[in-house]
Amino acid sequence: MAQIFRRRSNAIVKVALVAVVFVPVAALVFAGVMARSRYADGIGLTVDQPVPFSHQHHVGGLGLDCRYCHTGVEEAAFAGVPPTHTCMTCHSQLWTNAEMLRPVRESLAKDEPIAWNRVTNLPDYVYFNHSVHVENGVGCTTCHGPVDKMPLMQKAEPMTMQWCLDCHRDPAKNLRAPEDVFATNWNSADGKIHGHERLKRYGIDPAKLTDCSTCHR
Amino acid sequence: MGPVNRRTALKLMAASAAVSAGACGRQPEAIVPYVNMPERLVPGEPLAFATAVTLSGVAQPVIGQTFDGRPTKLEPNGDHPAASGSDAFTQAAILSLYDPDRSKAVRKGADTASWDGFAGEFLPRIEAHRAKRGEGLRILTGPSTSPTFFDQISTLLDRFPEARWHQWDPLGEENVLAGAELAFGRRLKPVYRFDRARCVVSLDADFLGAGPEQTLNAARFGAGRRVWGAKAEGFLRLHVIEPVLSLTGSNADHRLAARRGRVAELAQMIAARFGAENLPEGGIEEDARIFLERLVQELSAHRGQALVVAGAAQPPEVHALAHWLNETLGGLGETVEFLPADDEAPPAAGLRELVDDIDAGHVETLLISGTNPVYSAPGDFDLAELLGKVPFTVHHGLYRNETAARTTWHLPALHDLEAWSDARAGDGTVTLIQPLITPLFRGRSLFSVLGAFFGTLDADDREVLRAHWRRASGAGDFETWWRKSLRAGFVEGSAPQSVRPSAAAVPKPVAPAVEDEGYELVFRPDTKLWDGDFANNAWLQELPDPVTKLVWGNAALVSPSDALNLGIEDGNLLEISLGENRLMLPAMVAVGQAEGAIGLALGYGRPEAGVIGSAVGVDVNPLRRLDALWHATGAELRATSDRGRLIRTQEHSDMEGREIIRDLSFADFLHGTEEKDEEVPPSLYPDWDYPDAAWGMVIDQSVCIGCSACVTACQSENNIPVVGPEEVERGREMHWIRIDRYFRGEPDAAEVLFQPVPCMHCEKAPCEPVCPVEASVHDREGLNVQVYNRCIGTRFCQANCPYKVRRFNFYGYGDEQAYENLDDPLYQAAANPDVSVRSRGVMEKCTYCVQRISRAQQRADREGRELDEGEVRTACQNACPTQAIVFGDTNRKDSLVSKLKRARHEYDLLGELGTRPRTSYLARIRAVAASAGSEPGEGA
Repeated sequence: MAQIFRRRSNAIVKVALVAVVFVPVAALVFAGVMARSRYADGIGLTVDQPVPFSHQHHVGGLGLDCRYCHTGVEEAAFAGVPPTHTCMTCHSQLWTNAEMLRPVRESLAKDEPIAWNRVTNLPDYVYFNHSVHVENGVGCTTCHGPVDKMPLMQKAEPMTMQWCLDCHRDPAKNLRAPEDVFATNWNSADGKIHGHERLKRYGIDPAKLTDCSTCHR
Repeated sequence: MGPVNRRTALKLMAASAAVSAGACGRQPEAIVPYVNMPERLVPGEPLAFATAVTLSGVAQPVIGQTFDGRPTKLEPNGDHPAASGSDAFTQAAILSLYDPDRSKAVRKGADTASWDGFAGEFLPRIEAHRAKRGEGLRILTGPSTSPTFFDQISTLLDRFPEARWHQWDPLGEENVLAGAELAFGRRLKPVYRFDRARCVVSLDADFLGAGPEQTLNAARFGAGRRVWGAKAEGFLRLHVIEPVLSLTGSNADHRLAARRGRVAELAQMIAARFGAENLPEGGIEEDARIFLERLVQELSAHRGQALVVAGAAQPPEVHALAHWLNETLGGLGETVEFLPADDEAPPAAGLRELVDDIDAGHVETLLISGTNPVYSAPGDFDLAELLGKVPFTVHHGLYRNETAARTTWHLPALHDLEAWSDARAGDGTVTLIQPLITPLFRGRSLFSVLGAFFGTLDADDREVLRAHWRRASGAGDFETWWRKSLRAGFVEGSAPQSVRPSAAAVPKPVAPAVEDEGYELVFRPDTKLWDGDFANNAWLQELPDPVTKLVWGNAALVSPSDALNLGIEDGNLLEISLGENRLMLPAMVAVGQAEGAIGLALGYGRPEAGVIGSAVGVDVNPLRRLDALWHATGAELRATSDRGRLIRTQEHSDMEGREIIRDLSFADFLHGTEEKDEEVPPSLYPDWDYPDAAWGMVIDQSVCIGCSACVTACQSENNIPVVGPEEVERGREMHWIRIDRYFRGEPDAAEVLFQPVPCMHCEKAPCEPVCPVEASVHDREGLNVQVYNRCIGTRFCQANCPYKVRRFNFYGYGDEQAYENLDDPLYQAAANPDVSVRSRGVMEKCTYCVQRISRAQQRADREGRELDEGEVRTACQNACPTQAIVFGDTNRKDSLVSKLKRARHEYDLLGELGTRPRTSYLARIRAVAASAGSEPGEGA
């Protein structure tokens, strides 16, 4: 009677036995790493936009203040995306025929808004409020990254609950002087030096910042 | 598809896996800014506008909150002289605005048509009528108080002198006006000053119950019973004679159940004691005699502070008698004031005249607006058939309802929140109505439709309104006047001067009630559906009736002794026959009801109300008669053993000897020496400290009248889903605040006690340690919060909560498994964006309106200041007409809530459990001690 198993069957079984242990572990590790990866959080990915608006050009180059376009940031939960009219304050005079700006002109002409694509998003059960963060010395670039160096807008931070809590548990290091909140060149070393005195000055009690009701209602 | 074999199954699995894998990509969400952003608008921040909604034509002044142009919540307009709190109808108006069953298009018969098409037929027709001075032209409207509408209709009648204007209100107050005419020779509308009265007698008047003046009456009534705030000099004492236990009767200190037909007789006996002559004396039972003795004695002891109120269901003679009594007791101008009801509106004919004219063939064109007579007309005539006799009929309304189905044309109307209009509030103040949103559908207002009589259907409502007020305001600078009035929501000082009528005529005897054998049917407006107008409003359908606790249907209320005689119990189907008419509806044994009286709520059983409201309950209108709208005698009852559906949110009404609601007499409150029980049981639970705010609530049971405005306000504010009748039957209603109603004493003469129960936000909360995932946690301002996205639905917290205030989403009531069409995207527009919509399998409960706390704190933070006392007001607190709910920071010693927490009669619900609730109660203060109810004169 011929052999049922050939010689190389031994090797296959050995490999299979190792794989039974190793593959699930590797898969778990891979999944864990992926879940925490910049890729999964969408960091550094640009999102297609109807108009390739460059923050690098407008903020870094021309020096526009954040609040020129994001008008709600000091008084509302949403910072706001500018209405077409805001774009046209300049672009009715500059680059009036640029192909790139055609959607903006069409929006004005047809009275139809431009549908921008969201770059940073929080789940609906999170009640984030821009105005209180800005009021209490948390600067724009702390969460949104160096926008003045982004030709196309991309997410800079993971925006996960863990990330939120990192700051809510110990906000001092991220606190700026009121005049620096909208600065794009703020040096984080400043926060490490003056953070704790600012904590008092802004009247922040970090203990309350980790209440569930602070962000969820 | 044939039988699935192994290959097909594998293929399908592979395909579905591939599809779901393909769906994993990032789908960016769009942000759509304005092209040109309106001034003052900040996306995501609410704007507030003063406006009003109407109930039976009377303005309910509100501040409408809109998010990005979308109205989400109505708050009472605190600056308005007639506004204090709100009612359930006003709170639920938001849901009706977004009702997807609302009429969306002009219809000719069953076909969709256009406004132009209608104009093409209607305008030439009007021209033809004009040539005949308006002959054959009839307009039928619902009740109205709008000065601009009156102006328009007067002009119209001038132009078309032969045309006639009819009004039909199934819950009309004709008796009230006729009664004043009898007494004073002039049609006057009484406005009651309960705040100035110390002894009030209600002759079958449900002034605290649902109605256009409910909030005004309740606020004044509350002022007469509130013992905090201004120094309490006395305590309002209420005597009520009524057939069926109403909200007013529930708040009475002394109550006599009497058949509706017998109230006149009792009223005459009262008048006779005060010297009225020639009044027939009837026989009287012992308990009624004691009741009347006490009542008379107290009325005479409170001259100048006494008030007798007759109900709209009573004949004009009883009203005249009440006026005479008020005059005799020095109440005219003191406890009751009168507004002219005859100077602004041209005289309107009634439904009877219209029916006669149609019968006689005099009507060629009929325009019906803002009323639904095919459903709501009494059973004397078949209006549906009569409408067929009119060659050209038009219905103008919010819904394609029963009337719309029988008219030639149907025109969609505007909701109050979409319209420019005006109306008078309960005190007569002119209240401006401005739109909070552009019309959702192709509706037009009555102003526009009446414009047809002046040649156009395209009138601009705002201009119509302004044109009227440009003339009527008499303001030199109209634009300033207009802007100021619009901003305030009302016209300052526009309440008419109250009329001081001449002496009331000496009462004439009332024709004695025909004491028929058989039962008396007592018709009552429904506390939730009113005359049926709100039938398609799911919030109101699911709102428990304050007294019966019924939802999603009506019942025949039967007194306990009649039930015994008939051998029936709750839920037995009862056949009621009156002459030719008979109908079947489930019986419910009702406490405090007069023997022989059967209570029937109107507004149910509508065949064409919409997806929510059609065929809920039984229509009792066929038993009504136009000449006796409010009661019928000689009814026969046949008990059956069949069971009907009776859905109630509270089946047990006894406190079982426990001190759930404490009460004490006013005398004891003033002079009592009993110290507050400060002893708190020990606890193993952790202590908390609150460096900043520590929120708390106090509910004053002395002034809570049980109206349930808070329940609907909470529903609107907190996106509370409706679960539908089947789920309520399983006890799964979701209200975050409920009103428990208890009875004490004999079933025939029981005392009624109301207790609003929101979450207690316990210091030692039993729900917190039992949660395996820490979804129920304490926060650093004392709130006991529920974290929806952590909750896994074990329901341990619900099981461990002694107050039963936690609500569980057994299904996805709020989204994918909503009742009927409540998941319609249009309804979702009513949701408050500040509050999460909860998903299936999640526990929820009252949050003390944490979103309002946050909003206020963030605003204060931005403005660099501390929160003011009273700056945070919960939805229930705002809606309460009697200020029974007080919320605030208990860490501030100066806050009202702290002061009330220190009051001697403040106590914790089930305090013996040691939960240390942050919501506590003020014991109910009564004019008389609960046990010694028969001692007159005491306390007040």
